[in-house]
Amino acid sequence: MGAVDCDTVAAVTEFLYREALALDERRFRDWLALLTDDIRYEVPVRVTRESLADWELSPTSRIFDDDRDTLEVRIQRLETDFSWAEQPPSRTRHFVTNVLADPGEGPDEFRVSSNCFIYRSRGDDPTPSFYSVARKDVVRRTADGWRLARRWAVFDQSLINAHNLSIFV
Amino acid sequence: MTAFNDATGLADWVSRTRAGLTEGRFPARAFNDVDVHALEQERLFAKAWCFLAHESEIPSPGDYVTRKIGNNNLIVARDEHGVIHANLNMCRHRGNVMCKSEMGNASHFRCSYHGWTYKNSGELVGVPYMKEGYEGRLKRKDWGLVAVRVDTYEGLVFGCLDPEGPSLAEYLGGFQFYLDLYLKHGLGGVEVHGPPDHWVADTDWKICAENFAGDGYHTPVAHQWGFHLGYFPSSGTTHSQGWAASIPGKGHGIGLGHGPGYPAFSGFPDQVVAGMKEAMSPEQVAVFSQIRTAVGTVFPNLSFLMQPFSLVPGDPGVRFVTMRLYHPAGPGRMEMYSWCLVPKDAPEDYKAEAYRAYTLAFGQAGTFEQDDFENWTKVTASAGSGLVRDLDFPYIMGMESEPVPEFPGPGHVVRPYVNDTNFRNMWSRWGDYLAGEA
Repeated sequence: MGAVDCDTVAAVTEFLYREALALDERRFRDWLALLTDDIRYEVPVRVTRESLADWELSPTSRIFDDDRDTLEVRIQRLETDFSWAEQPPSRTRHFVTNVLADPGEGPDEFRVSSNCFIYRSRGDDPTPSFYSVARKDVVRRTADGWRLARRWAVFDQSLINAHNLSIFV
Repeated sequence: MTAFNDATGLADWVSRTRAGLTEGRFPARAFNDVDVHALEQERLFAKAWCFLAHESEIPSPGDYVTRKIGNNNLIVARDEHGVIHANLNMCRHRGNVMCKSEMGNASHFRCSYHGWTYKNSGELVGVPYMKEGYEGRLKRKDWGLVAVRVDTYEGLVFGCLDPEGPSLAEYLGGFQFYLDLYLKHGLGGVEVHGPPDHWVADTDWKICAENFAGDGYHTPVAHQWGFHLGYFPSSGTTHSQGWAASIPGKGHGIGLGHGPGYPAFSGFPDQVVAGMKEAMSPEQVAVFSQIRTAVGTVFPNLSFLMQPFSLVPGDPGVRFVTMRLYHPAGPGRMEMYSWCLVPKDAPEDYKAEAYRAYTLAFGQAGTFEQDDFENWTKVTASAGSGLVRDLDFPYIMGMESEPVPEFPGPGHVVRPYVNDTNFRNMWSRWGDYLAGEA
């Protein structure tokens, strides 16, 4: 078993479920409240490369590269009447599995890896989009409860099958 | 979708389309039709100079990327002597794909089927059982990878499937003056920040190419949220000022958005401004110093955009440059490549800041990009429907616009920025190709 006790793993897992639920219920302000002030939200670009290449996830290119301020901008945008990409809004369902927690930098921080499978449906289009995503998060225990301090998420595809990414992963 | 009955039907349609353009009309059908798509493959993408890569993507000997022109898969590689080649990504022996990665470094490419091996320049060097099997009948020099013409401008690598035809310089036809706005950010030029965002969309490539040829008209509506949150200091009315420049007979066009009262070259660090003044002509500096947003398309499917953008509304903003390629992947479907270009000699912190501004605004999850594609997929869907395919759209804005006298840049330059002149020029050139006259 891992170095993190079962109760903590259970608490962290529940936190990820609640965070996913906030996104799926489009309670973006609630979601923002679950992030620390020093949140780093990063989704690198994946490139198809030969087997012994040094990297497949670009060291420099990012699909998302956000901090608290820019996530706030994204959510303010969604709150206007002009965020056409989300009118009508995407219906998403984040399926979070394979949650593993390891000790982080301090006693209140944990490095948490998980798989996230996202179902996304738009308008009356009967064909949904599916995204398989690997996440490596840093989850922090604070006086106010659990908070997400870092999200590093990567798509399991290099050519993304979405005309936009107006959702959070 | 009903196909055209025969080649004559399609030729008639192309002919009617070209005639309609002179009256400011263009058919919806062009944006989502299986026969039009096939004709583009045959007559446009087989002939035009098409963008392949930026030199900074393949800086060292052996570096390669795989890219496409039309439905052809190409390896764009820098050989051991530093020369850039574009070769069909196909083994000459039985047609297997040679290189299945998007990028990498290799001195040779070896086919995984029977083992034919080529230098990264495309020369065939290895054939298993050469002596025993071919008994001297196979000449290696006859069976190299199929080479495509390559030429460059300021770091942009273009390829042309047609061995004849004009040079790249002739093809660009003076548009270089405007391209420099994105490319001459110092004597060292620009470089890509990293591999491009890469995604697919049910959108016709032409809608994107047209939009970037200078659609200032959509900005205040499609990107209203930006005005709403205070990103732009101006209203829709002031945003539409500036110029539309196009190169007649070539199809290229650019919208030069002028922000009244906007400080010259604002959002660039002093060092970059100094570099631009050194690298550009006085005429270019005179024009570009007044420009807030510049959005342009190199015919057929390469576009650029430069504008200041801040991570937080109200801040002055940092200038970023994006370059994008709209690869036609089928009728009404495209594969999008989107890069951020940064000045090679700029301070690292500016490069990082410009890239973050790009990501927030125009990467795949970019707040502007998201809304554009929402509109473009819907336009494409409409264009494929039964009733709509026989309708024309109006392209009559600025039909009477007189060229701006004494504008220091080349081409046909009109005011204001909100104008269909660039689009008529673009579709006119597209018509030349589809009619087999280019």
